[in-house]
Amino acid sequence: MPPFKDEQIIIIAPGSETTLAQLGLPESFTPARLRVRSRMFPAEKEGEWEPYKVRRRQDKPAEAHNGAADGDAKSVADGEDEIVYEEDRVSEEGAVWPIQEGRIVNWPCFFALVTHVYNSLNPPFHTPILLIAQPVWTPKEHERLTQFFFEKFKTPAFGLVDAALATGWAYGVHTSTIVDVGKDKVDVTAISEFIPHIQGRVTSLVGCGGEALTQGLLARLKPRAWNRDMCEQLKKSPLCEILPPDVPIPGTKEAEHEFISNPAAAASTGATASGPAAAAAIGIVPRGPGIDTEVGDDATAEENEGVLDVASIVAGGKMNEYLEKKEKEKLEKAAAKKGGAQAAAAAAAKPVRLPNSKREKVTFLYEDHALLDSLKSMNLGSEMQAEMEARLDEGPQRKPEGADGEPMSTVDANGNAVAGNAPSGPIRRELEVGTERFMAASGGILERIADAVHRTISSVDEVNKRSELWDSLIVCGNGSKVRGFKEALLAAIQAKYLISPSSATIFTSEIPSNISTPTGTGANTPQPQLGPHGGPPSQVNPLLYAATTAQTQHLMPHGGNPLMPGMSHNVHSSHGQTPTSIKFVKPPEYFPEWKEVGFDEAAFLGAQVAAKVIFVVDQGQSKGYMTRPDYNDQGPTGIHDYAL
Amino acid sequence: MNIPNSSSAPAPGEYAGDEVSAIVLDPGWSTTRAGFAGEDVPKSVIPSFYGQIDSDSGSQYLFGENAIHNPLGNLQVKNPWGDDGIVEDWETATKLWEYAITSKLTGTKAGHPSKNGLNDGNDTNGDAMDVDMDTVENQEKPLEDSPLLVTEPGWNSAKAREKTIEIAMEEWGTPAFYLQKTGVLAAFASGKASGIIIDVGASHTSVTPVLDGMVLRKGVQKSTLAGNFVSNQIRLIFKQSQPEIPLTPHYLVKAKTPVDAGAPAQAIYKTFNIPPHDSFRRLEEERVLTEFKESVVEIWPGPGRLSNGTNEEIAKSMPGRPFEMPDGWNQVFGLDRFRPAEALFDAKAAVQDADNPRPKDEHTIPRLVQAAVQHVDADQRPLLLQNIVVTGGSTLLYKFNDRLNYEINSIYPSTRNKLIAPGPVVERKYAAWIGGSILASLGSFHQLWISKKEYEEHGANIVEKRCR
Repeated sequence: MPPFKDEQIIIIAPGSETTLAQLGLPESFTPARLRVRSRMFPAEKEGEWEPYKVRRRQDKPAEAHNGAADGDAKSVADGEDEIVYEEDRVSEEGAVWPIQEGRIVNWPCFFALVTHVYNSLNPPFHTPILLIAQPVWTPKEHERLTQFFFEKFKTPAFGLVDAALATGWAYGVHTSTIVDVGKDKVDVTAISEFIPHIQGRVTSLVGCGGEALTQGLLARLKPRAWNRDMCEQLKKSPLCEILPPDVPIPGTKEAEHEFISNPAAAASTGATASGPAAAAAIGIVPRGPGIDTEVGDDATAEENEGVLDVASIVAGGKMNEYLEKKEKEKLEKAAAKKGGAQAAAAAAAKPVRLPNSKREKVTFLYEDHALLDSLKSMNLGSEMQAEMEARLDEGPQRKPEGADGEPMSTVDANGNAVAGNAPSGPIRRELEVGTERFMAASGGILERIADAVHRTISSVDEVNKRSELWDSLIVCGNGSKVRGFKEALLAAIQAKYLISPSSATIFTSEIPSNISTPTGTGANTPQPQLGPHGGPPSQVNPLLYAATTAQTQHLMPHGGNPLMPGMSHNVHSSHGQTPTSIKFVKPPEYFPEWKEVGFDEAAFLGAQVAAKVIFVVDQGQSKGYMTRPDYNDQGPTGIHDYAL
Repeated sequence: MNIPNSSSAPAPGEYAGDEVSAIVLDPGWSTTRAGFAGEDVPKSVIPSFYGQIDSDSGSQYLFGENAIHNPLGNLQVKNPWGDDGIVEDWETATKLWEYAITSKLTGTKAGHPSKNGLNDGNDTNGDAMDVDMDTVENQEKPLEDSPLLVTEPGWNSAKAREKTIEIAMEEWGTPAFYLQKTGVLAAFASGKASGIIIDVGASHTSVTPVLDGMVLRKGVQKSTLAGNFVSNQIRLIFKQSQPEIPLTPHYLVKAKTPVDAGAPAQAIYKTFNIPPHDSFRRLEEERVLTEFKESVVEIWPGPGRLSNGTNEEIAKSMPGRPFEMPDGWNQVFGLDRFRPAEALFDAKAAVQDADNPRPKDEHTIPRLVQAAVQHVDADQRPLLLQNIVVTGGSTLLYKFNDRLNYEINSIYPSTRNKLIAPGPVVERKYAAWIGGSILASLGSFHQLWISKKEYEEHGANIVEKRCR
């Protein structure tokens, strides 16, 4: 009988941005049920941590700042001034993020986070825990985690699985190169025959993750007074895209050449004064072409000034003036729209049909958390606050799934699901963005990742494995979710590293290599020759030979593994160099729930597979986890004998 | 439970594996290997190169693979090792080795007091956590709870040895220390107590006679005909070929387009506002050369030398191997691929120019072996020649062993000569580390190492007495 049941197993995957967890393995594996932002808030008492921001709030706005904050419970009645402690589930002000660049930098906070996750799962008593380990964690840190899990949660069994290895399991491939794009870092791991290559793996390549993309956007948009939060949301929206090198950025010379029908571009340059374009130019003058074109520059600048400052305006008490101004703007806009109504509609309809990559400008709905925060901290009455929110909200009401509301849903998918629980919805505001949205990765991020992949694969000692590793790239991690990222990365790698067939080998391969050229000894009849030393026949690709003689070491002990059809195959090519081809591994077909959301969090899926195998299927035979008695015998250092 | 059999791992505590997590550090010119004793491969293998950026506010040092391959402006790439195969820049070497240990084995030291979470209050271990975790982080020195075994080349100077123990004891605070020669450890890794160890590394080739686990110091031979020398030969061949073969490292290329063999490259190059230092370019070129060595270079396997009789003709008739440079330039290398490594065995064959004179005959590998064997008693020689252990990354050159075998048999035709060259690449590359891992995990190793107390009592030169 297996020592554990499916529904008892806990899987935890800590990440720099989001921590995933799940209790119990469903019949068909699903994405993680619990998603928690990997941050904690220091509680009032030092050394304690709260999962949500706790905000002090009083019902009477006038007495905002006189209540002393003693007491540790959520709500304390303090005489007549009732101080209410309110959990704000959206705000991230003052949060501490215990994991940075994959490393655990704040252990007490990390432990508090794990404890919070564990308690949220509300597990029964007999629960084994499988923890997904970041590649950058050191063995000593593994020991520390082991000690924590056994002594804090009294878990009956604990296992660690490497994130890259888990991803490989999820895809069901024995040899692969895993590129895990995280928040601040990228890990590249070569796995051959289920064994990760520890020596050459690139761990925690900083400045290449999702955060770097946001910063890339920010660098471009800063002159237009965008802040980091706006860029972050833009990045997560489908509007932000990383274009492959051969697709021109709209609005540039090449793009115009191809798509002269782009009304915005045409209007801004005045190249074609055709009907709809001209009408568009009349209709929406202030919101016209972007900052990098000449027309309409001042107008957008002015508007952007407003865009940035809303939060500070609100905080500064100039709210009403601002709102009035806004109303006026809205009216003007409406009037302008009416003026050229039909023509403008025609113009507006056209760009919508264009794919994102060909539109120069798009409008983007931004959820202003900072604004919401400052509203809250003003201690307005709840009615007034709701009204303010409604007036500030520019988003289409009750239309979260519309074409424009899409950003919201993606944000949700990224772990902001708590937004729905908040007392009031986020305040949405419209922003316009130009071609900057295609330039998130323009800071050389892709090239650095490509170099890391090249280094990782080149450090694999078995030269014959390399071509297989190149042919099985897996790009995962939430940082790679940005539209077009994976394709652009592949294109970048191919442009730089792909070895093309040499035209010179055509000639050499015509001569059968085992026929020596006639020598001066009189034996001018070509005759087959053995290698000079009776060694391997010389027509064998020397590397292939070296490879086949050296490769027997890592054969898995149990041969009949269904995941390894025919072991590694060596494609014979005249090149000893790699890569001659670079491909992605196809994601598995048989996890319908995962297919919907994508395989960016494949490590979690892999951990589910691993948990099923080590805890249930093989009944502990493979020593994939450490049990409580093992821990009692060996202490934390014993984990190295068990970790996958 | 599993029933123990001959192939299952011994139960913990069964072999005298006391629960000490000794760390084995095997510094080399090209890479620095570190890991826990008892494991089969070093967990941490980092390049021995480091980056340095000089600015007005002082120098910034960069360690680790990620940092040194990033083309930053004004980045210089340096190596703490000297030309004589002994560490020259101890200060940086210490930092580099510490990085090798902390970055991938023990975790970084406790950070600044304000950040490490220790000062967030004393009740961290209160009801929220009854585990006393913070003691681990309280330490200031990185190795306070791990004994350390460091390897050294056979020709290490007394000064360097004393320096090593000083660093280990005083900077890292290790409780116990031992220094062992790479030759002995490589022999251990192959399960031999006696033998001749031929170690062809990056900067040096060494031949070490080992008898019963002891190095015969007089017999230790070394020369610079090793991996770097081969790289240099390749550079010379590129330079001397007509037309000159361009060597453009990856970081300068943005995208390449396929061109015909031998045709000039048509690539889009990258430009840098502030380019990295030349030494960075050299390091990156070395990556290309490594690839060249792996996929093109071959050693003439014998019989005879490449220059003998018709051997060159035969070599010419063997199929060439194509190589494509990062910028797309490609060519097939025929005879030329046999030339870079030939001088390891035959000094005459070295490619030369004004700056690179012909190496000395006595520095070739066969002559080193001969010289090493000369220092051994005649009656011990057959024993040693039966255990010729081949190790070092450069011995992975294709057909190296065939040639070595031929050369040794032609010097000693009357004895039974046996090459022991482990097949798995890891064992060949990290033999000394693996030997160290074995040694340090033996229960009896306790008797060998120098404790902190002994060090404090006798001072640094205890290492001369204890680590022979």
